[in-house]
Amino acid sequence: MTDFRAMQSANKRKTLALLFFMGVLVWFIAYVAIAAFGGTGAGVIPLAVLITLVSVWGSYFASDKLVLKMTRAQLIIEADNPNLFNVIHEVVIASGLPMPKVAVVNDPAPNAFATGRDPNHALIAFTTGLLDSMDRDELQGVVAHEMSHVANRDTLVSSVAATTAGVIALISDILMRMLWFGGSRNRDHHGQQMPIFLAIIPLILAPIAATLLKAAVSRRRESLADATAVSFTRNPAGLRSALEVLARDTTVVQARSNAVAHMYIESPLDASAASKLFATHPPIQERIAALRAMEANPQQ
Amino acid sequence: MDISAIILIAVALFVVYAILQYNKLVRLNIRVDEAFAQIEVQLKRRADLIPNLVETVKGYASHEREALEKVVQARAASTTASTLPAVAAADGMLTNALRGLLAVAEAYPDLKASANFLQLQEELATTENKVSFSRQFYNDNVRNLNTAVKTIPTSFFVGLAKVGEREFYEVEDPTIRNAPNVKF
Repeated sequence: MTDFRAMQSANKRKTLALLFFMGVLVWFIAYVAIAAFGGTGAGVIPLAVLITLVSVWGSYFASDKLVLKMTRAQLIIEADNPNLFNVIHEVVIASGLPMPKVAVVNDPAPNAFATGRDPNHALIAFTTGLLDSMDRDELQGVVAHEMSHVANRDTLVSSVAATTAGVIALISDILMRMLWFGGSRNRDHHGQQMPIFLAIIPLILAPIAATLLKAAVSRRRESLADATAVSFTRNPAGLRSALEVLARDTTVVQARSNAVAHMYIESPLDASAASKLFATHPPIQERIAALRAMEANPQQ
Repeated sequence: MDISAIILIAVALFVVYAILQYNKLVRLNIRVDEAFAQIEVQLKRRADLIPNLVETVKGYASHEREALEKVVQARAASTTASTLPAVAAADGMLTNALRGLLAVAEAYPDLKASANFLQLQEELATTENKVSFSRQFYNDNVRNLNTAVKTIPTSFFVGLAKVGEREFYEVEDPTIRNAPNVKF
């Protein structure tokens, strides 16, 4: 696709489709819970929803402060790095977004991330490694990519995906334990639509399916962020060049756990990912190729 | 439910829909106004940098009268412009004049090495980029508004909202339009 607007629409549609499928999966597991476990099964659902909501949405709300702590990022002001602030300010004007908070992570591995519950509480951060290895256009490409995450409300989208996956995982987990410890097998035996042993397969597969869907959502949002970055800078070469720098560099950021991996511009965990399907980012060569296609066909 | 209740609900829904479309048009129009104001903010920032630039260049290359004059005149013209075509025309003139002055400055190694000039250059470069991005943002908003005004069904509410198509911000020099990251 050579047209960033078409790429944006396509990625948004795919995100909606994926979230829809995740919703369907939740309903399906709820059905299994009630059909195989009767009243107890039905009781598990609100419990799972409550636990997941509290943990995911608590961290969504405080995402900017939480992430600062988890990644050991330091907030900076304009006087600390006027050139970086100029580059960010230019993207702020092109995008119409409010000026985010800016932070720096002391780490030689080049990487960047964005977070915050909405554009008015946004935070973007860069490692010292990235600031040292990019030229102005490349840095602007990275800034635009991170601001795109803010513009597209990706913290919210991934929280929705995480909640759905979390609810599915928790319901399955609780019911599998009940199965294992024979909790409800002897009660509610009559009036059940599904024999319990049949429930095992969906209970095992559903959390895996949910994780795969969540990863797919993450990949679509990364692709969308690349396209939106181009819509801000109108300079696909800058971001493309930045990704090439990242592709060449093999060092990895230190502060990386599953909780924060998905936010980085280059996934710090994908080297150990079992397969492409679990990856949070599209393969970097694919992203570079997509940007090259846009360079060949410049548009206003 | 009898027929009159159904009609009432349908009318209510239509009124809600009309309000949403009206607000959408008004909101898009306001965004265009704000984006134009942003262009003027950036143009003013650039205009404010110029006296300092002119003095610095004069200090090392005072006989480059023509280039300096062009900049001073273009700056004066830009401060009086108020309508969009006038602002855009003055903007184009000043951008060209600045380019000319900085091209001339290339021939003066003392000037190029002076700390004052280097800082001014970065300031000018980022200001020029900001002017360029604010033009882009304005045109993006005009495009959104014009699309809404022309497409059905929003187009039906254009008269009600008293909102119309707006003009794009066109700058004379084609290279300016296509190179947001202007490098002097």
